[in-house]
Parts: sequence; C-alpha cells; structure tokens
Amino acid sequence: MKHWWKILGVLLMIYSIVAGLAIPLKPGIYDAITASKAITGAPIDIVAVGYLTKFDNTKDDLRAWLKVDNEHAIASTAIKVESESRLKVSFDIPNNLPSADKTVDAALIIDSKKNGYSIFPSAVFIKNTVGTNSAAGWTNAISNMTQHQGMSFPYRNILQETIRNLFYHVPLWFGMMIIFLISAINSGRFLKTKNSKFDHKAASYASVGTLFGILGLVTGAIWAKHTWGAYWSWDIKQNMSAIAMLVYLAYFVLRNSFEESEQSARIGAVYNIFAFVTLPMLLFVIPRLTDSLHPGNGGNPGFGGEDLDNNMRMVFYPAIIGFTLFGAWMANILYRLKAVQQRLLDKAFHSA
Amino acid sequence: MSFTSQIFHLIKKEFVLEWRQRYALSGILLYVLATVFIVYSSFIRVPDTAWNSTFWIIIVFASVNAIAKSFIGESGNRTLYYYSLMNPYAVILSKMIYNTLLLLILCLLCYAAFSFIAGNPVQNVQLFYLILFLGGTGFSITFTFISAIAAKSKNNATLMAILSFPIILPILMTLINLSANALGMIKDTAYTNDILILIAIDLILVGMALILFPFLWRD
Amino acid sequence: MKETISYIFTFLFLLTQNSLFAQTAHDAFMRSNGKIYVVIGVLISIFIGLVLFMVIMERRLKKLEKELNENG
Repeated sequence: MKHWWKILGVLLMIYSIVAGLAIPLKPGIYDAITASKAITGAPIDIVAVGYLTKFDNTKDDLRAWLKVDNEHAIASTAIKVESESRLKVSFDIPNNLPSADKTVDAALIIDSKKNGYSIFPSAVFIKNTVGTNSAAGWTNAISNMTQHQGMSFPYRNILQETIRNLFYHVPLWFGMMIIFLISAINSGRFLKTKNSKFDHKAASYASVGTLFGILGLVTGAIWAKHTWGAYWSWDIKQNMSAIAMLVYLAYFVLRNSFEESEQSARIGAVYNIFAFVTLPMLLFVIPRLTDSLHPGNGGNPGFGGEDLDNNMRMVFYPAIIGFTLFGAWMANILYRLKAVQQRLLDKAFHSA
Repeated sequence: MSFTSQIFHLIKKEFVLEWRQRYALSGILLYVLATVFIVYSSFIRVPDTAWNSTFWIIIVFASVNAIAKSFIGESGNRTLYYYSLMNPYAVILSKMIYNTLLLLILCLLCYAAFSFIAGNPVQNVQLFYLILFLGGTGFSITFTFISAIAAKSKNNATLMAILSFPIILPILMTLINLSANALGMIKDTAYTNDILILIAIDLILVGMALILFPFLWRD
Repeated sequence: MKETISYIFTFLFLLTQNSLFAQTAHDAFMRSNGKIYVVIGVLISIFIGLVLFMVIMERRLKKLEKELNENG
C-alpha cells in the first residue's frame, strides 16, 4: 500500500472533524448578573446564567461559592433555581476583605453532581466600604468538587464552542510550518543534485504551505472577530503571520522574474532556504517581545494547563498530523502535474 | 592568495570603486539629510516615539539604497574573470564587511543629523551606539545577501524591496524595541535578552548567507 | 482573469458593506448557540480554500490537455 499516508491523512481529518464537533462542552456559567453593587457587610444576589447546564434536574445537590483566592471564599446562603439555565444565588459578604485592596474581584463557583463544577471568573467586584482587612468570615470552604462525567471539552467563557477551532485553525499553522520545512529541504536537495524534480517539489510544497497560511489567517480572523472583537486586532502574531505570507509571495514573484528555468530554480531555492530560516524568528521570537492576545505570549497561558486537557489533545494532535498529511497529498498532486508538464515540454523541445 | 588577503584586497577594491563614484555615496548622504529634514518639518516638534521609529525607518531605506547597487556592477565579463580567481566566501564576506562599515558611517551620520535637526532624546548613549552597531551589521548582512539575489534579475530595484523587507522585520522590530529602551521610553532592565536575540539573528543570517552564496555565485 | 479579479473585489466590497450595516444582526447570529457558527464559518472557509485548490489544479490540467491536443 503506497497510498497509506493519504488514507491516514483523510481518516485523521475526518476523525478530527467528527470528534471535534460531536464531543460536547462541559456545562459552564455564561454570565453572572448582579442587581446591585457588591459591598462588604451586605447581602448580594447573583443570577448565574448557565450554558448547557441542567439546574432544574439538580435542585438538591447544588452548592455555590464566591472565591477571592485559594485561601479565601464564602459559601452561599441560598440557591434558587429559576430555570434549567438560570440560578439565583445569594451571599452574605463579610464585613472585611482578606486583602489590602480597595476592591477585589471574586469568582463564582457552582458545583452539582450532574453538571460538575464550573467557574465564572470576576463575577463580582467587591468594594471595601468598612476599610479593614482581615480574613475573618472568609474560609477555605471549597471541597468535594464534582468532576463532570463523560467525554467533554473544557468550557471557557469567551471562547465557548469556538474552543473547537483549536482543531481547525491551529493545525493549519503547524501544517504550514512542516510543509514549508519540506519545501526548504527539497530546495536544499535541488541545490545539491541540480535535479529539477526537487525544484518542482519545493515549489509545490511552498504553494500548499502558502494556501495553508492564508487559510490560517482567514480562519484566525473569523475566530478573532467573535472572541477579541475585530477581524484584525493588529495582534503581533497576526501581523507576523501576514508578513510570513509576504515572504512566500515574494518567493513566487522571484521565481517568475527569470526567463531561464534553471536560474529561476536555483535562485528561488536559495531564497526559499534563506526565507525559511527567518520564519521561526518571525513567528516565534518576535511575538515574545511584545504583548499578544494569543496564548503563550505576554503573560497569557500557553497550550497546556486547563485550556488543552487530555480530551482535547486526543483530537488536536491527530488533527495536526491529518492536516499535514492532507497538505502533503495536495502538494504531491501539484508536483506530479508540474512534472508531467515538464516532460511534455522536454518532449516538444527534443522533437522540434 | 590566502583567504584573508583575498578579503583584504576585495575590500580595498570596494573602497577604490566607491571613491571613483563619489557621487553615489554623496547621493546617499544627501538622501539621509533630506529625509531627516522632511521628518522635522512635518513634525516641527518631534515626539520621542516618532523620533525612534522614523530614525530606524530612514536608516532602513537609506541602507537599501546604499546596498542595492553592491552586486549590480558585478555582471561584466571582466569582473567575472576577476572573481573566478577568488573564493566565493571571500567575495560575500568582503562585501558584507565593506557594507557594514558603510552602514555604520550612515547610521552615525543619520544620528548626527537627527540630533542636530530634531533633537537628541537618547539617554543611554552607550547602549544606543551598541544598538547602532548591531543594527548596521544586521542590515548589511541581510541586504547584501538579498542584493546578490536581486542582482540576478532584471527588475532588481522592486525585487530588492519585496524580498528584503519581510526578512528585515524581526531585526527592525527588535531594534526599535531596544532603542526605545535607550531613549528611556520604556524601562526594561532585561534588554540584554534583546541584544542576545539580535546577535543570534545576525549569526544565523551570516551562516546561511555563507552556506548559500556559492550556489548563487556560480552561473 | 480580469473579470475574476473584479468579481472578487465586488464581493469583498459587498461583504464589508454588509458587515457595516448589518453588524449587530450578523454578530448576534454568529454568537448564538454558544458561538458554534464561528466554528462552522472556520470549517467553511477551509473548505472554500480546498475548492480553490481544486480550481487551480483544474486550470493547470486544462492547459496540459490543450498542449497534448495541439502536439498530437
């Protein structure tokens, strides 16, 4: 079976699309609405709006906390289920705050046997009106958190279902890097052997890599619009990816600016290798210098931790391999077309 | 001829050629002065952020202009024969060293013109000279190699720009970040990291240029 | 070629105009049901990319076929 890798690529892509769309998210809190400002020494009602939650099925075992930090939290005084996705939670905020700040933000945590636990960060900002700091009234009472049962992806408040884009947007970039690497290797082999076969391969892989890069930019823009608020946020990684595309578009311009095919191939190969070496600098080194909205930059957490749990890994890594193999298949077809074209040209040249 | 004496002779040749075509060099110098003057007259009072970015952008454009011609004169038969005696590594290294010297002069002149016309907000002068040195080296390495590529084509002025600007960007951004430090706009004590990144980029680019140049050279 | 380019630009122009006027409705739709339509949009754009690749291949093949027909 010499086509095994194409089949594997397609199967992995189908797997990543099916599994990536079919596995549900964990139930989570979508919004926390407070009727009044939260101040010390006063009760407060918070209406938690849930996503995929079944509050009405779990009336008896619902528990809720407001958490300031790992040592300081308060339990709720009353919980009232309004509907399957709305929950009214009441708290008595103590007279003092555990930290010296004027205002602290507290996360709302809701736990039930059926839904598992979910956290809504910065649900309320508690203002210290009395002015003393002590930990009295704040305890570390959170215990026996229930894990959600069954296969699921983590719920993140702004991301929501778009967390699935991790399987479709990010593998495009990983695939692009691997495909550009193959292209640069083929350019190197061309320079060594002067066999035009390798030049056609390098050009084909560069084309597919550029297509992947442009798709990465487009999908990233769509994702950014509905999570960061704009298609183009002038995020440093967005800019750098766009510039990486410019590098490869320049490669094609360079190839087309020579009439002689040997010269075009040789100089194109030299630029391809030179450009590939600068790619990691563009995509990985510089974005670390300044803040970015992307994970892993400017204080944002990177991959790993809670954003990429084991369930997501089981789809994410196959997706990378699947996209890369599929891209290699596309490049392979393009290369064979070019090779046939070359043979036709040679034939016409010899018969003439 | 040994390798070092080849380099020495080639650099000498560059100086002699440059001296014979003084108008080219003075053209570049005038270019710097004119652009600095335009920047000043469009800003009147130049804020530090604008000082920083326009300074480096002017240097980028002036260097492209200064270096773009470095391989264009090398297409004649006489030079081809001349170079068939020479080691290709000596050719590219001598060009890089010569262009680095040229760019360092250009950077210093640009700095002088800026401080004379638009004021001098640099606080950490030593750091700024170091940045100028690293920046000049990085620009000269990249532009020299790209000009060797672009010179092979007919419309080399356009190619020079589209091939080199995306590649120069990591260096340029690191430089602007570092010189913001030297200007006291941001207080970042960890700027040694940036300097190391710049040195690493320069070394990688020199290495790649040396590996790839022989393939470009043999027509 | 020229026509294709002008079509693309008209399409892009209409797209931007559309998103300017129907900003809120479009956003509300994309953000309903836990923003699942954003994922759908991403998948559709990848699909369009693959179709674009097929079109390019088609055109290249057509050129080859033409050459073959002309040369016998």
